[in-house]
Amino acid sequence: MNPSRACSHCLLPLGRLAQQREVNGEPHEFCCYGCCLAYQVHHGETDEPEAAALLIRLGVGGFLAMNIMLFSLLLYTGTFGPEDGWTVQLVHWVLWALATPLVVVLGGPFLRGAWQAALQRRVGTDTLVSVAVLAAYGYSAFQVLSESGGVYFDTATMVQSGSGAVYFDTATMVLVLFILGRYLEARARVQAARSLAPMLAAERAQARVLVDGTDRMEPVQAVQAGTVVRILPGERIPVDGFVLEGRSDCDEAVLTGQPERQAKGPGMPVHAGSLNGRGHLLVRATAAGSATRWVQSGRLVREALARKSSLGDSVDRLAVVFLPLVLLLAAGSVVFWSGRTPFEEALLTGLAVLVVACPCSLGLAAALATTLGIAAAAQRGILIRGGAALERLARIKTVAFDKTGTLTQGRPQVLDVSLDGATEHEVLQRATALALTSEHPLAAAIAELGRDRGVVVAPARCAQAHPGAGVSGEVAGGRTALGSSALMARLGWQMPPEWSGETDIQQCTLVFVGWDGKVHARVAFADRTLPEAARTVAALRSRGLALLLLSGDREAVVADTARSLGIPEWRSELLPEGKVEALRAWAERCGPVAMVGDGLNDGPVLAAASVGLAVGAATDLARESADIVLPERALESLPWVLRLASRVRRSVLANIAWAVGYNSVALTLAAAGVLQPVFAAALMAGSSLVVAGRSLRLHRADAKPAAAGEIVEGSTAVARI
Amino acid sequence: MLHYTLVFLAGLAGSVHCIGMCGGFACALGGDPRGGTATFRRHLVYNLGRASTYCFLGATLGYLGLLVCGQQGDAAAVGVAQRVLALVSGALIVLVGLQFLGFSLGGRWRLGNPATALLTGALGRLLRAPGTGAPLALGVLNGFLPCPLVYAFAAQAASSAAPLPGFLTMAAFSLGTFPAMLLMGGAGLWWRSRSAAATPAGARSQPAAVLGIDRRTLILRLAGGLILLLGLITFARGIVPMSAHLHGL
Repeated sequence: MNPSRACSHCLLPLGRLAQQREVNGEPHEFCCYGCCLAYQVHHGETDEPEAAALLIRLGVGGFLAMNIMLFSLLLYTGTFGPEDGWTVQLVHWVLWALATPLVVVLGGPFLRGAWQAALQRRVGTDTLVSVAVLAAYGYSAFQVLSESGGVYFDTATMVQSGSGAVYFDTATMVLVLFILGRYLEARARVQAARSLAPMLAAERAQARVLVDGTDRMEPVQAVQAGTVVRILPGERIPVDGFVLEGRSDCDEAVLTGQPERQAKGPGMPVHAGSLNGRGHLLVRATAAGSATRWVQSGRLVREALARKSSLGDSVDRLAVVFLPLVLLLAAGSVVFWSGRTPFEEALLTGLAVLVVACPCSLGLAAALATTLGIAAAAQRGILIRGGAALERLARIKTVAFDKTGTLTQGRPQVLDVSLDGATEHEVLQRATALALTSEHPLAAAIAELGRDRGVVVAPARCAQAHPGAGVSGEVAGGRTALGSSALMARLGWQMPPEWSGETDIQQCTLVFVGWDGKVHARVAFADRTLPEAARTVAALRSRGLALLLLSGDREAVVADTARSLGIPEWRSELLPEGKVEALRAWAERCGPVAMVGDGLNDGPVLAAASVGLAVGAATDLARESADIVLPERALESLPWVLRLASRVRRSVLANIAWAVGYNSVALTLAAAGVLQPVFAAALMAGSSLVVAGRSLRLHRADAKPAAAGEIVEGSTAVARI
Repeated sequence: MLHYTLVFLAGLAGSVHCIGMCGGFACALGGDPRGGTATFRRHLVYNLGRASTYCFLGATLGYLGLLVCGQQGDAAAVGVAQRVLALVSGALIVLVGLQFLGFSLGGRWRLGNPATALLTGALGRLLRAPGTGAPLALGVLNGFLPCPLVYAFAAQAASSAAPLPGFLTMAAFSLGTFPAMLLMGGAGLWWRSRSAAATPAGARSQPAAVLGIDRRTLILRLAGGLILLLGLITFARGIVPMSAHLHGL
């Protein structure tokens, strides 16, 4: 392949998955399907015109084909007797006249595809179709010419013996049915593109930037934090920021999966990617245009589409070997049968082999189902990193949860502060100073408390994080530590004896504050579980999945959370490496595990799981640790994603099984000369219709389970009341 | 020949029914900016597409009827099969005829099933599509829409148990629907220009209202009567053995 050719969208060299597509009448080449879609979205073009063009082809071809079939039926049933020899000849000419435009109109795409493949020294499905159609057409045309040229003087004998028959109808039916398959495929692509368009538009989006009182269109990537952007009604918001002026209602479904419109007014945050409602908005960007979740999601979706699922990949490799073999088999059966039967029958056998083997349903199976699956998820704000992740998700046996921020609100509240030889103000001053250096939710809670009490904080120096234990540093001239009892023990600091024993606040998370070699305060936190957590856990259990809770918290806290949610197994007091080890140990015993975390401080364990799911991990999108990212507060979509994954996998496997089984049976029949080419074409087209139909249903069924799920949720809510 | 004349007349009268559904497509197809002749050609092509689907269905069903009855072999068996076929299709035609006469039997035809949904989606897409091939494609796919009238004549075609009479039956029927459908295209244009002149916003009125509802019902009843007659003749072919005199129809 010529190395100088580059993808029209990302300008990278074309790889093995190169695609050619006409966009706005110009030929373009893309390195992957994702780039192709993104380019079309950006240039305001989708597969819609392609689907319409195919439909017109189908209709016009159908008109010609039906007339051909009509006359052929009349011929077959002997409507014209031996005395009508001249009429038969005329009908043959009419058939030829009808079949020629048909081969041009319907056969065009296949012939072009075959020619392209031939130039690259490949054998594609288009090659098989073209050879079959041209053979049937050419042979029939030869028959018409020779009977008119007087080779068959005695037309009566000809009609009776059955020789001299024409096979324009065979060529016709093959083409019509294959074009029908193509049309269904194009429709599926239109659907996928429509649901992915909001995501794919991100990378090339433009922002209406306000400079010196005038608007100027600028690429979103050039927008810096602090820039003021104007957003017109109905436009997609290009930046993350705060509303300065104006009121509107925004559709944030792409980001959150929630269909309700959110009211926006001055001072309220807006998110890139959401759709502005009926009002004008003036927004001050709070982050660079290239750092928004929207842009990152867009890139992620495009990359996901470029990644072939492993099943799809093996199918492709199979096809490379399979297609030339079919061509050989067809030629072989023509040679074999021509020695035993009239040449005409041998030729028909060869045609049947070619037609029956076109493994278009194979090629369709994996790609279509996964793309539609990813698109269906993207519509709910769920990002999936490629078909392989979806495939792995369908095979998991266990779902492991992180506790804080995933099953709980992640915003622990301070319940109680016990002091030992210090004032509360002093404790808060030191604790807040250290807390500000950490991202941990407990630290955030302490910082909030400090702010509420109006504590003036001197910044901590030489702050050092102890992962899973706490932080330490220099505050007010003394070495201060904020963290678990383990950290205090490691530092060798003394703790009042009544704090280290059993206490009445078992279910709380305890954090200690110490300085100058002594622990001075104990802060008790409680973190409530999310209302949807119990429902999600119940839904997963009813799917027969094993559940596991992994947490760095104290045993008593973790056990309490697990019991209240109905999770039978838990591991507590784990450091990040401990979580990875616990996960590996579990996976060895019980099979593949999906890990659900908040993506903030559980990167390693998400990466170690066979599928890592991050909930609302805006910060983690750029990193590679999570395979699937759910929108914030969307834990409840977890069962839906699992259902989607298993539906996609079932669909792919069923399609492959169907295609392989069908091909082996039909090929045997065809090579044995049992199958007529017309029936072979009908069977083949039927099988690709089944495949495309199944995949489309996958997409359509998407709306229904959601509605059903809501009803179920509604009824449980009623039951709870 | 009398038989095909009857079918043609039934089609002609029954095409008042077409106005309800297919008439909508004819109206939506609209005119051609190049003028009246081009518009007429556009509608003719659309109707040709529709007719070719009907003819294809007729020939295919006739062929299927032939397959059911058997081309050669035991004459008695063929006779029985032919009579059963005639009884079944006759009954079907009678049912449709009764429905047209105003006797509601069983459910209405619905456009709910997935295949029809796919078809109507495709029709919508074709209506928006540019190009000269679009009207033809529209007609071809339009022909596959479920319609009791088509079912009745398709059953008639199947009972003929040969492709040629099946083809001729459906051809006569579709020729019968031509005038109404062509008029529908013209009337739709006229109506649209008139309502556009009267109300610039373009009030969307049903052009079928041009024909009064009473007169429409009357013509529909007439069609029902003709279809019923056809059904009874077909049915009689099943009951009366050696109904040579009816074959002559």
